[in-house]
Formats: sequence, C-alpha cells, structure tokens
Amino acid sequence: MSENEFILQADGLCKSYRMGAGRLHVLREVELGVRSGEFVAIVGASGSGKSTLLHILGALDRADGGTVRFEGRDLSRLGAGELNRFRNKTVGFVFQFYHLLDELDVLENVYLPAMIAEPVAGWVVRRKQAKARARELLERLGLVDRAAHKPYELSGGERQRTAIARALMNKPRLLLADEPTGNLDSATGNGILDVFEELNRSGQTIVMVTHDERVARRAGRVIKLADGRIVQSEAGASQG
Amino acid sequence: MYKLVLAFRYMFKRRISYLALAAVGLCVFVVVVVMTVMTGLVVDFRQKNHEFAGDCVVGTDSLVGFGYYEEFVEILEQSEFVEAVSPVVKGYALVSGAGSERNYGFELMGVDADRHSAVTGFGRALHYHQDDWANAFRPSYEPNLPGFVAGIDIWLERDSRSKYTHPSEPTRRRFSVSCFPLTAKGALARAGTDVVRTRTFYFSDTSHSGLAKVDGAMIYIPFEWAQQLSGMGGAVKRASAIHIKFTAGTDLSVGCAGVNDLWEKFKAGKQNEKAAALLETVRVQNWKDYRRQFIAAMEKEQVMLTIMFALAGTTTVFVVFVVFYMIVSHKSKDIGILKSVGASDGSVAGLFRLFAVMMGLSGSVVGSLAGWLFLTKINDIENWLFERFGFQLWDRTVYAIGAIPNRLEPGVLAIVCACAVLACMAGAYLPSRRAAVSAPAAVLQVNQL
Repeated sequence: MSENEFILQADGLCKSYRMGAGRLHVLREVELGVRSGEFVAIVGASGSGKSTLLHILGALDRADGGTVRFEGRDLSRLGAGELNRFRNKTVGFVFQFYHLLDELDVLENVYLPAMIAEPVAGWVVRRKQAKARARELLERLGLVDRAAHKPYELSGGERQRTAIARALMNKPRLLLADEPTGNLDSATGNGILDVFEELNRSGQTIVMVTHDERVARRAGRVIKLADGRIVQSEAGASQG
Repeated sequence: MYKLVLAFRYMFKRRISYLALAAVGLCVFVVVVVMTVMTGLVVDFRQKNHEFAGDCVVGTDSLVGFGYYEEFVEILEQSEFVEAVSPVVKGYALVSGAGSERNYGFELMGVDADRHSAVTGFGRALHYHQDDWANAFRPSYEPNLPGFVAGIDIWLERDSRSKYTHPSEPTRRRFSVSCFPLTAKGALARAGTDVVRTRTFYFSDTSHSGLAKVDGAMIYIPFEWAQQLSGMGGAVKRASAIHIKFTAGTDLSVGCAGVNDLWEKFKAGKQNEKAAALLETVRVQNWKDYRRQFIAAMEKEQVMLTIMFALAGTTTVFVVFVVFYMIVSHKSKDIGILKSVGASDGSVAGLFRLFAVMMGLSGSVVGSLAGWLFLTKINDIENWLFERFGFQLWDRTVYAIGAIPNRLEPGVLAIVCACAVLACMAGAYLPSRRAAVSAPAAVLQVNQL
C-alpha cells in the first residue's frame, strides 16, 4: 500500500493516561492508513482504545507520540485556528449519543457547523444557502418533516440521522463515527448503517468505531484493535 | 453567529437563567430607586442651599463683622458680571413674646428684603409677601409697625404630610428681640448702662427655605435694625457678609475669582484704615463652599449609601458566578459538541460572555423598568402606606422634604446598568474560561456524560 494513496495516515500513535501512580497505555504504536472513498471499521472491546484513536484522527485529542497526516498534512503541526477549521470543514463526527444541542431544533442543529464557520456578516450572506443545504440533507435522510422539532422530540434513529446530517453539513472529506449504532436497536442501527453504506457508495470516506463485529462487517475494511494495538486488518462484507 | 443564537436560547429557554436575571434585575431596581431618591435629595438640598446663599458670599465668621462694606458693595454693583448684591448682618438674639418671661435663642439675620430677594430665594420663601417681598418687614395688619420674618418651623408645625397650615392673615403678635452688641474689637458695647439692646418687632411673615437648620432657628429683621442691635452701626458701619448673584451665563468659578480679585484690591486699598484688621477675616466663597458643612454631610451620606449598595452588588456578581458555573457545568456536553464541529476556545468563551452581557442587559432593562414604575408611584405608595398603616419613609415632622424625589436621572441609570453588565461579565469570567479550556474529547467521553 503506497503512502500516497492514503487520505488519512497514522504512524506510531501512542496515547496514555495517568491512572493513580501509574499510566494506562491506551494506544501503542498504532499504524493506520485510510484511502479516499474507503469505509473502514475499527473494532475492539470496550477500553481497547478505539474511541481515543478516532478522537486523535479527528483532531479532537492529541497523541503523546506519533503522527496523524490528513492528505499529507501533519495534524500535530497545525495551529489552533487551523485545527478548528479542520474539525469544521474537513471532518464530520457522529457520536454514539448523537450529541445534539437541545436548545436548537433539528434544522438548526444540522446547519450549526455552517453557522460556526461564519461571522455574523458572512452568515447573513450565506444563511439561505446553508439552510437549503441543511434541508437537502434532512430530505436525503428522511427527516424533512422533523426540521422544526427539538432533539428530545425525536426517536433515537432520527436523532442519529440528524447527527449524520450535521456531520455532512460542510461536505467533509472524512466522516468519523464513534459507535453510531451503539445506542440503537438492531433495526434502527441497520438503518443507520444503510445510510453510511449509501454515503460511502457516493464516495464519502468513513471511519467507524464499533465494538460489534456484525456492525463492523458492513464496512469495506475491518481493523481490529486490542490492548491499544492493531492486531488484524481484513476486508469487510461490503468488499466481499 | 451561533453565539448570538445559542446565548439567546440559553437566556430565555432555561429556568435558571430567569433566576439570575431576577437577581440582576432586583439589584438594578434597588440601586436605581435608592440612587434616584438619594440623588434627588442631594440635588434638592444643594439647590435650596444655593437659593439660600446666592452665588457667592464675601463674609466673615466673626461676630463683629467687617467695615467699609458699603464701598465694596458699590464696587460690586459696578461690575459687569454681578447682577445683584445684598449685605447682611448675622448674629444671635434672644426672643421673648410680649408679657412672657421665657426667652428663646435664635440666629438673627438682618437683610434688606428687596435686595436680598434679588440675590437669594428669600422673597420666594415668604408666605404672605411672596409677591411683595420688598415689604416683607411690614406686617399686613399694620404696615407701619416694625416687622420680622420667622423661620417657618419656629412659627408653625408641620403636619404628617409635611404641610404647614397658615392662617389667612398673619397673626398680630409682638416680640422683644435682644442682642448683645459688640464693638469692632469684640468687646461688649454698652448702650447706656445696659449691655443688652432690645427692640420690639411684630410678626410679619414666615420664611420657608426648605433647610431645616435655617427654618427652625433663623429670624429675619430689617438690615439697619440688625446692625444697630448687633452694635455694627457705629461710625464705621459693619456687615457680616455680602451675598452676590452673578449675571446669567457667568461661570461660578470665574465669577468668584473676579470677586476675589476685587476684594483683594479693595482690601489692599484699605490697609491703612482704622478697621482694616477686620478685613483680614473675610473670605470670598462660592455658595458650595459657603454651605459646605451642611452639603458635605448629605453628600457623604450619599457616598456611603453608594458604597453599601456597591457591596450589595458583589452579591449579584456571586449569584451570577454561581449560575454561570452551574450552567457551564451542565453545558459541558454542548461545549464538547461545539468544539467537535469547529468552535474555537475563544469562541466558546465568547458564547458564555455574550450570554453574560445579555443577562446584564436584560436584568438592567427589567430592573430599570421596575425602578421607573416604582419611582413614578413612590409618593402614591407612601401615601397609601401612611393612610392604611401610618408608615412613612421619612417622618415629615422631622425631615424638611415634601415629596420623595423620583426623577430618574439618565446618567445614574446609565451608570447602574453599565455596572450590572460589568458585574455579569465579572461573574461569568471564570466559568467561561473554564468552558474555553475544556478538552472536547474528555467531555464527550461516554463515561463523562
């Protein structure tokens, strides 16, 4: 696998936390490469370090050692402003617990990343465009009739689809999903995975973290993480 | 843009925000009401003192007064910036009613009613001679008799509404006014074999200056009589002070400086005169300095109240701090979400600071409106309380005020509101910093939720 083919590449990632007098090593020399348009699942038991890895890949956290390169740029060398722009424009996060803002309705939650990207004057100019994009995403995800609802008025599946719409708002080149079906029943979870598959088919690069091997198999490639190390990488069901 | 939307939602969609808003509003309300009333009382008190003294006073505290005042009055009257001048004699007198053995000690002021009314509010303070102040010392029941004007609290008692009830005509009453005349050197001047000079005066009018210490202790008689009774009417006639009113548009300090220059020249020209030593005790003061000992006490009271309420304001800062701390703690998930979609640390801190500003502004608006409403009705409320429960904020039989001052000063309001906003920002500072530095990965971890 040539390095140049990877949109996202992690080399020698290490992360540890202080636990009392000692340190808990969550990630140990993790090597990972994700190609553009790939759907990768990182699977592992609880505490194996998969969420930490995802946070580091999405610049939500910093590694103690090693590098993360996105399209060749070392994320550790980016300044605070560039990292904020990276999180806003380049990656989209989907979390297990949806993480929607209760004070905003569904439509507002979806266009929140666009609002954050714009100062007041810019927002006045681009507001209509952003709202149209948010509506388009809600339509695509079957939520257009829920646009004016508050998150707490939605079902779990609807909330997660709203979170996916928000993650896609600024057309990120990388979608990172942390246990996106972990809080949903199996049917609803499958619906979410269908959405991911459809997004991936349309060219979206996705890295998903899950503890469920059946969920992981829906991805194009499955990477197994155990004790902070990648122990196996194999093609998923969608490749087979 | 999101900051504005979210700050607005945090402000109006959360019950705890309403509690903080109520705390800020209540504090603004209390401070606005107290400051308005206190400022009104001080402004009113200063105005009354200004009315009493005129613009400038050339005078001495010495009981023997100073000589050559007539010449200086002439110089003053020729000055462009002087509109009117009134020499006065001040002293003390024992007053007893006709046929009574009892004496009462009062302050005595001898004035030319017409001249003094042109300089001060003396004429406007009269009751029976308000439109005819030149004849203030002519009792309306017998104009040829020598009359005196009594401070209103000497003559009448106020009712609980701070009202004085005058008879339709002044009561014909005779009083003996006795003084101890002093020579220019301060020794008792003998009038024949007696050291006391006494003259009979008839009640002519009351003077209501609105200053409790004046209205309760001062009697006014014609200038020449006061001069004679005090022993100031010798070869070199003396006066205690010259009250001056400047022409419209003359700056107080410029006018007083002009008077001071004239006085210094005048004094220098008199240095070889017989009674020149008395001129050394004379000071030129603007009305504020002349009445400083009375005004300062009230101003100090106002400053003390302001400090007390500033201390009370720190409670508001603490309340806002607690509310913001709770909100930020409760909103740690939101902070993580915002950072995960690209919000910067500064932007997150800005969100909570904007929230604080909105809280301060909203609290200020609520408090100001409530304060304004309360102030417009404060006298009605006090009247109602008095009628129902006999309660009065200020006992009018003790305090020389009519209505409670309730004019909202825009300057005071602006300062109070600005302080409220600053207090909210101060209260929100640490919690917003805490929000800004929180790590999104840490707050979004499943076991942190």
